[in-house]
Amino acid sequence: MIAAAWLTLFAPAGAVVAIALAGRRITRRQAGLIASASVGVSFVSSAYALVRLLGEGADERVHPSTLWTWLSAGDFRVGMEIVVDPLSVFMMLVVSGVGFLIVSYAVGYMHDDDEERRYHAYKALFVFSMLLLVQAGDLLLLLAGWGMVGLSSYLLINFWHHRATAVAAGKKAFIINAFGDATFALALFLLIQRTGALDFGTVFSRAPEVIDKSSTVAVLIALGLLGGAAAKSAQVPLHTWLPDAMEGPTPVSALIHAATMVTAGVYLIARTHVLFELAPAVLHLAAVLGGITILAAGLIALVQTDIKRVIAYSTMSQIGYMFVGAGLGAYGVGMFHLMTQAFFKALLFMAAGLVIHALAGEQDIRKMGGLGRELPRTTQAFLAGTLALAGVPPLAGFFSKDAILAHALDAGALGVALFVLAVAGAFLTALYSFRLLFVVFRGKKSAYVQEHLHRERFEGPLAMVWPVAALVVLTIVGGWIQVPGGWTAVDTFLEPVAASLQEPAAWMEVLSPLLSVAVAVAGIALAWKLWGLRSDVPATLRGRFPRAAQALERKLYFDEAYDLAFSRPSSRLALALGRLVEAPLVLGSAGGIARSVRALAGRVAATQTGLLRFYALALAAGLAVLILVFIAVQ
Amino acid sequence: MTGAVLASTAGDVFTWIVWVVAALALLTSGLAVVLFTNPFYSALALVLNLGSLAVLYLLLSAEFVAAAQVLVYAGAVMVMFLFVIAYLGGRADAPWAGGPSVTKLAAIVAGGAILVEVVVAIGLAAGGPLSTAAQIGNAFGSPKEIGRLFLSDHLLAFEVTSIILLVAAVGGVILGAAARRDEKSAADQPKAVEG
Amino acid sequence: MSGPGISAYLILSVILFVTGAVGVLIRRSPLIVLLALEIMLNAGNLALIAFARQHGDGAGQIFALAVMVVAAAEAVVGLGLIVAMSRKKIELDVDTLANLRG
Repeated sequence: MIAAAWLTLFAPAGAVVAIALAGRRITRRQAGLIASASVGVSFVSSAYALVRLLGEGADERVHPSTLWTWLSAGDFRVGMEIVVDPLSVFMMLVVSGVGFLIVSYAVGYMHDDDEERRYHAYKALFVFSMLLLVQAGDLLLLLAGWGMVGLSSYLLINFWHHRATAVAAGKKAFIINAFGDATFALALFLLIQRTGALDFGTVFSRAPEVIDKSSTVAVLIALGLLGGAAAKSAQVPLHTWLPDAMEGPTPVSALIHAATMVTAGVYLIARTHVLFELAPAVLHLAAVLGGITILAAGLIALVQTDIKRVIAYSTMSQIGYMFVGAGLGAYGVGMFHLMTQAFFKALLFMAAGLVIHALAGEQDIRKMGGLGRELPRTTQAFLAGTLALAGVPPLAGFFSKDAILAHALDAGALGVALFVLAVAGAFLTALYSFRLLFVVFRGKKSAYVQEHLHRERFEGPLAMVWPVAALVVLTIVGGWIQVPGGWTAVDTFLEPVAASLQEPAAWMEVLSPLLSVAVAVAGIALAWKLWGLRSDVPATLRGRFPRAAQALERKLYFDEAYDLAFSRPSSRLALALGRLVEAPLVLGSAGGIARSVRALAGRVAATQTGLLRFYALALAAGLAVLILVFIAVQ
Repeated sequence: MTGAVLASTAGDVFTWIVWVVAALALLTSGLAVVLFTNPFYSALALVLNLGSLAVLYLLLSAEFVAAAQVLVYAGAVMVMFLFVIAYLGGRADAPWAGGPSVTKLAAIVAGGAILVEVVVAIGLAAGGPLSTAAQIGNAFGSPKEIGRLFLSDHLLAFEVTSIILLVAAVGGVILGAAARRDEKSAADQPKAVEG
Repeated sequence: MSGPGISAYLILSVILFVTGAVGVLIRRSPLIVLLALEIMLNAGNLALIAFARQHGDGAGQIFALAVMVVAAAEAVVGLGLIVAMSRKKIELDVDTLANLRG
């Protein structure tokens, strides 16, 4: 089982190395096949690890394994250590499973791109980094995986590096994530100082003993971790990079910015929940941030016109749900929603990719319309994903979102407030997701579609179609492994590692599904009225509330605020420093040093008069001094 | 015994008188070399200097060195000096022209400093290490002794000095020949132009 | 030893040496400088002979003879240079010979 875990981790790494070294000697398609095969191997070995793990008793399911010790200073030891326990195996399966489907899909999506080999190498690198992150047995290795995931994201966002927008988006993502990395690292420093270790076993057992609950240190550590999580998971206020990250190819958006990387924040909170429970205020802050994100993202998604951006905002919103779950202590259901969201969000992105592929790269939904008749199967896939997103039973999204809502009701006053927010969010989710569905797929074919649609036999190359089909199946059945009030497989499985803080009562588990289904249906109905029937109510509303509409279109002015607060002052500071410090001090000093050395040398050279008498005088004077010294010493 | 003492005291007195005379001659001729304007007079003063040195060497039981001094130094080297001075025409130097400059003052100060320091050093040592002179035999400083030392203990010095002399001789010839060659070519120049 | 002690000879030697040194530093004609140089060398010789007498070691006298040889060789070369200089009509003034200025 341990060997299987290591194989899971290193198979994609091997693919990266192989593709990089092979260079042009393999065809583009072969590079893609290597990448997908490696992720497939990862999935199989993760499944194997799961089976073996299930064969053990619930209390014995923690297996750390160290390959080598990298740093050893006194008692502090950190190394290449992975852990095989329920939480990590859960994430391994999600990452490698969904990853396998998406990487295979990408083989078809990117088949006409010249730099396809680089793409597949980066994809494999990403899967490796993400697996490193979830399998890490100590916080330092987790941070290493964390950083590498950010790197892969950057590399893949500006994959089309000749596009200035893509390059800017990559930089933005990287910088915001770097901020999160920094706070994460600071938290680690505090942890090392207090507990003297970073491996999970030691830290989580020692931390409650040496750190007082709600002390400043605990709050700082938790805040640092939360900063990293919020940046990586694109929660308010560190969310501005995610919509821009849609500049990358669609499979990238599917894998990184929907299913896996952005969920790393939730994983972190679940994994280090011991540390978060030492600072409950921060945990609640996480939940509140999640709630705010649900609402903000939902509102902004209502007015977006790029098909991928709408889905991106829905990702943000759904991760908000996960943060609410994790922030209230319902780690198990938060992870469950992570899994189902991975399914239907990847499905949505991939279906959108089919649409974009059919329209030769067009992403503006105002130009689309009537694709339902032309791409029937794509429409069905998209419908499945949208229904799951809106939380309609019996698809996956319903069960997981619902479980979060039920747990929220059990979590005190804050929980109830967040429950209300979440329900409102569910209404918005249904609204904007069905808006997207209706605008793109219903009605008559738009002029653009009539001109540009090009359809292959299966509405896309086979490589793109079968992963979508697989995900449709998963979306439909994936939620059935945890049914509230009956089967709680996920919760039970994860309990030894991340025990939930709530136990929702029966009435909560009845109320929340009823409410959420009700608002979902209401949302769908409203969307039908506004966009399905092609009314002009949206336009009228926009006319009545122009400023609100504009605020939403400008993404609530976050980008402008950050620009004013951070990027303009820092560029001005950099320029000023360049002018005032660098030019005179650094550049000037080089010339200045040369000048002063030359001047000094000139003065010394004046002693070389060339006159014999002068030299002889110097000799005599020196002799006089020497004799004096000699006598004095005697 | 009294006679021996008287004889020794008389010898002492004689030695002292000779020493004083020689010392005075030494110092005055030294000053003269440095201060005279006319190089010819300076050279002659140097000859006197060397002579008084020879007397002092005799007092120090260095007979061979004294003889060599007179024969070689005063006799040969100084003659060579005089030849050159005569050839050059003994141009006047006027060392004191232009008033005392900083360099000259500094030179005198440095010289004075060295003098004072060494005298002090000698004075400090006079009581101890310099108080007694070794007992020497008659052969000390004789040609026989010098020759023996040159050919046994200090053979290397002997050989090296002979090489130095060779080099000097060769150098002198070259310098003289080069000078004559330049003169000849300078003399030939006008004829070539005319012809 | 009859007569004055070694210290007297040494003091004589120092005075002579300083005289010669000052002469080297003050005079402008290279010829006179050479003569003053000879005085310095002889002063050194006097010190050597005096110490040879004091220690009863003939090596001092050997050394003095070697110094004499060197002085003679140096005089030959120096005078040769002076003669060559005068033939090339170079002014015989130490203060103007500054080709080594750097």
